[in-house]
Amino acid sequence: MLKNYFKIAWRNLLKHKGYSVINILGLALGMAVTLMIGLWVADELNYNAYYKNKERIAQIYQTETYNGETNTGVAISRPLEFVLPEEYADNFEHIVMASWEQSMTLRVGDNVVNKNGMSIQEEAPQMLDLQITQGELNPLKEQNAVMISQSCAKALFGTESALGKIINLNDRDNMMVTAVYEDIPNNNSFHAIDFFIPWKHYIVSEPWLKNAADQWGNNSFQLFVEVKEQADLNQVSQAIANIKQEKNPNSVQFNSKFFLWPMEKWHLYADFENGISSGGRIENVWLFGIIGAFVLLLACINFMNLSTARSEKRAMEVGIRKAIGSSKSQLIGQFLSESFLVVFFAFGIALGLVLLFLDGFNELASKAIDFPWNSTIFWVAAFLFISLTAFISGSYPALYLSSFRPVKVLKGTFKAGKMAALPRKVLVVTQFSVSIALIIGTLIVMSQIEFSKNRPIGYQTEGLIQIPVMSYEFVGKDDLMRQQFLTSGAVMEMATSSSPSTDVWSNRSGYDWEGKPEGFQEDFAFTEVSYEYVETLGLKVVEGRGFSRAFATDSSAILLNEAAVKYMGLKDPVGKIIRQGSEENPTLLRVIGVVEDAVVQSPYEPVKQAVYVLDKYGNASYWNLRLNPGQSAGENLAQIEEVFTRNFPNTPFSYDFVDQEYARKFAEEERVASLAKIFTVLAIVISCLGLFGLASFVAAQRTKEIGVRKVLGASVANLWLLLSKDFVLLVVIALLIASPVAFYLMQEWIQKFTYRTDISPLIFIAAAFGALLITLITVSFQAIKAAIANPVKSLRTE
Amino acid sequence: MIKITDLEKYYATEEVRTIALNKLSFQVQEGEFVAVMGPSGCGKSTLLNILGLLDDPDGGSFIFNGIEVAGFNERKRADLRKHNIGFVFQSFNLIDELTVFENVELPLIYTGVKPAERKKRVDEVLEKMQIMHRRKHFPQQLSGGQQQRVAVARAVVNNPKLILADEPTGNLDSSNGNEVMDLLTELNEAGTTIIMVTHSEHDAKYSHRIIRMLDGQKVTENVLSEYKSKTLEV
Repeated sequence: MLKNYFKIAWRNLLKHKGYSVINILGLALGMAVTLMIGLWVADELNYNAYYKNKERIAQIYQTETYNGETNTGVAISRPLEFVLPEEYADNFEHIVMASWEQSMTLRVGDNVVNKNGMSIQEEAPQMLDLQITQGELNPLKEQNAVMISQSCAKALFGTESALGKIINLNDRDNMMVTAVYEDIPNNNSFHAIDFFIPWKHYIVSEPWLKNAADQWGNNSFQLFVEVKEQADLNQVSQAIANIKQEKNPNSVQFNSKFFLWPMEKWHLYADFENGISSGGRIENVWLFGIIGAFVLLLACINFMNLSTARSEKRAMEVGIRKAIGSSKSQLIGQFLSESFLVVFFAFGIALGLVLLFLDGFNELASKAIDFPWNSTIFWVAAFLFISLTAFISGSYPALYLSSFRPVKVLKGTFKAGKMAALPRKVLVVTQFSVSIALIIGTLIVMSQIEFSKNRPIGYQTEGLIQIPVMSYEFVGKDDLMRQQFLTSGAVMEMATSSSPSTDVWSNRSGYDWEGKPEGFQEDFAFTEVSYEYVETLGLKVVEGRGFSRAFATDSSAILLNEAAVKYMGLKDPVGKIIRQGSEENPTLLRVIGVVEDAVVQSPYEPVKQAVYVLDKYGNASYWNLRLNPGQSAGENLAQIEEVFTRNFPNTPFSYDFVDQEYARKFAEEERVASLAKIFTVLAIVISCLGLFGLASFVAAQRTKEIGVRKVLGASVANLWLLLSKDFVLLVVIALLIASPVAFYLMQEWIQKFTYRTDISPLIFIAAAFGALLITLITVSFQAIKAAIANPVKSLRTE
Repeated sequence: MIKITDLEKYYATEEVRTIALNKLSFQVQEGEFVAVMGPSGCGKSTLLNILGLLDDPDGGSFIFNGIEVAGFNERKRADLRKHNIGFVFQSFNLIDELTVFENVELPLIYTGVKPAERKKRVDEVLEKMQIMHRRKHFPQQLSGGQQQRVAVARAVVNNPKLILADEPTGNLDSSNGNEVMDLLTELNEAGTTIIMVTHSEHDAKYSHRIIRMLDGQKVTENVLSEYKSKTLEV
């Protein structure tokens, strides 16, 4: 029986090649998109799958409330390092303090590389269950130990064994390799870390850490824990929530609270709004999951439409089979087998497409997804996927075709009525509604990105580079280097800063000024800079002046941005005094100028109130260099590198273009936009394939009518209009459905950006125009072909 | 074998109700060869469809092999049909996508006959219809007469008790038509009951009895040749 089903199905495919190609190709495209998205979603959901104990590993998060606004972050203070093991040890298997990830210079002989490292407490390898391929089981026990990843070992030592070798760190400390661990796979936390050094070493090498040991206000560290097997994460969160307020009464006013955020949620649920989890990447997972499902649905709709449109041709077969003795269920079985066969071929092609485009997709989505050849789960899922698609696309045609009454079709009186075409029309409308909604959505995402990119940002990112301060050797050489860079001719100006010019790493409170409201909990973006910062970055001074070497008093000067002036409620800010520190012994800072707001953090948010002061303690993290516009970037960089290596022969020269760094702020949204663009185009292609097929059937069905009309004097244009207008009407209905839905959804989406564009009616007009144009082009081919055919021929066939 | 009493069938459109069968009654005994004649629209084909269990009567009784089948649901009708009735159509109604062999094999597949047995029986019947040499051809590659022989082969492969033929020679020239009529006569002589709808007086002469219809009713009935009943009347 089954063999017979497949035989007929196969011959049917061969007999109607055009139809088969449209059907299989359309489905294959849809399935390829869905497969690709499926792989992406699986990759996202499997984030941190490498960690065996991921259900029990968590990071300590902290919420603090300033002026009614609750901020959530991972930065915590050092006293927790002692309080947790002393008073809450029952709850935890491991408690691990860690520094931020940091780029450092590693040198072995002449071989120098920059790698990302992290200082962490010694239980980390155990907690993370790092696979040690060489060396000790407790590698971070000694102060001067270092454990490195296999790829780091390869970069430093080639094929030689790394164990026991000495690595020079940041041109200062000699560290001994105590272990080599297996690289942490791509979609896992800590993947970007190349080596771990002991927490003990961090404490000894950074003197300020000693003071931080009892400073509850100094949030500069991370803390990871693994709870005991029987412990409940929520209960432990509750238990530790109020530690800070209990130990440090000053935190009560900020309502400081700790909680555990499980490893499983780090990646997909990283956003918090007013202290409450508000999703994160999981929204993209949903978004693309839904898009994938829709694209597949579009392809299935094609299948249904084309199958039922051909129904009149197949009605006779159904009638014969029924007369011979086939039951309805046997016929349903037959049509489902046909759809299974088509879907099976389509899946084969889809697999090919996925393999072909996986690299490109990885690049676009910044992923490293491998095709899961060896995964049983994948193949089981693939089988279910095929069956489901075959069932969805085959069920309607199967039910429709198998319900034909043999008496009618055998007598040749069978003509599908007007109502028979209705479901087909509904399906076309559905298809185009989805496609049009995707077009509108994509256009709005693109216009929001464009809008944010065109936002005036208050400083000049072009022609500006930043060199990270990576080695202890740099400290105290700022002025010397500035002189040398200027003399080289490649640099117009140079200034240091404690944060990169595209971010703010530090926030400060504890300021007082005249007119500050009672109980106001201030919070400023805080950057320490050198004298020529305003000139180097190209900040615009709107009042007063920037820092200057000509004024000795500038060591106690402070620069505000416009947002800060507004935030503080200052009138005539220049010359005002701002007090900092304790009331008995305050530091007095004089406002020397106000600069225009510079967008250094999110380009979608308002600029935060910021203060700038001169760096007196060597806290520079970056050297900012304004390049000579009279020379090419290549010439400038060559000269800068020459100066750099002359001074720091042991440090690899590395730099970033600030405009490129700034552009990265749009990376996530641009990724979403480019993926959305691709899916939209595919959705349109699939819909058009279906429309094309459908138009050809309609034209074939109306051959006689067209012939008669032509004989009676209809022009090609008349006939083209006749055949096209039905489809155009369907697309117009789809437009009316899709536009409000898309408007509503995108309105919701765009709300998350404070700095946002208005949704322009032009977008809807463009989408409508585009959809109609595409429809006309698709349908016209068939319509004109039918219209110019010789009427004598078509009339004779009746 | 067949007894219909007061059989009624209507076709209704929005405005008019057409009576296709108007209290029609007659009997057919096992082994009989009956021709049904009448002008177009007299209800012949409607009758054949009801007899073939493809359609449901709106009134009256239809007893097939001693069982009242009027009012059977689709599934029961299909089941009874595939085991007992073979069809021969005017336009052959072969499935274009299947070869001669596969077309003939189809009824056996639907009745669940095992592959080896199917091959044997299809070969036998193709041999009998002298179409064996064309077994791998597709219908479009055959002449009209050959196609109708395949259709007859398909109708008899399951050894049905009843063959319903709807103008079996309507699309054939006279020599091919005669061949098909000879085939049907042979089958009848071997014991198969045949009911044939025809416009052709020539073809009707092959039968034992001619029922003439007009406006859904039986008008005359002529017995052409004596037929010896093998079983008792129903």
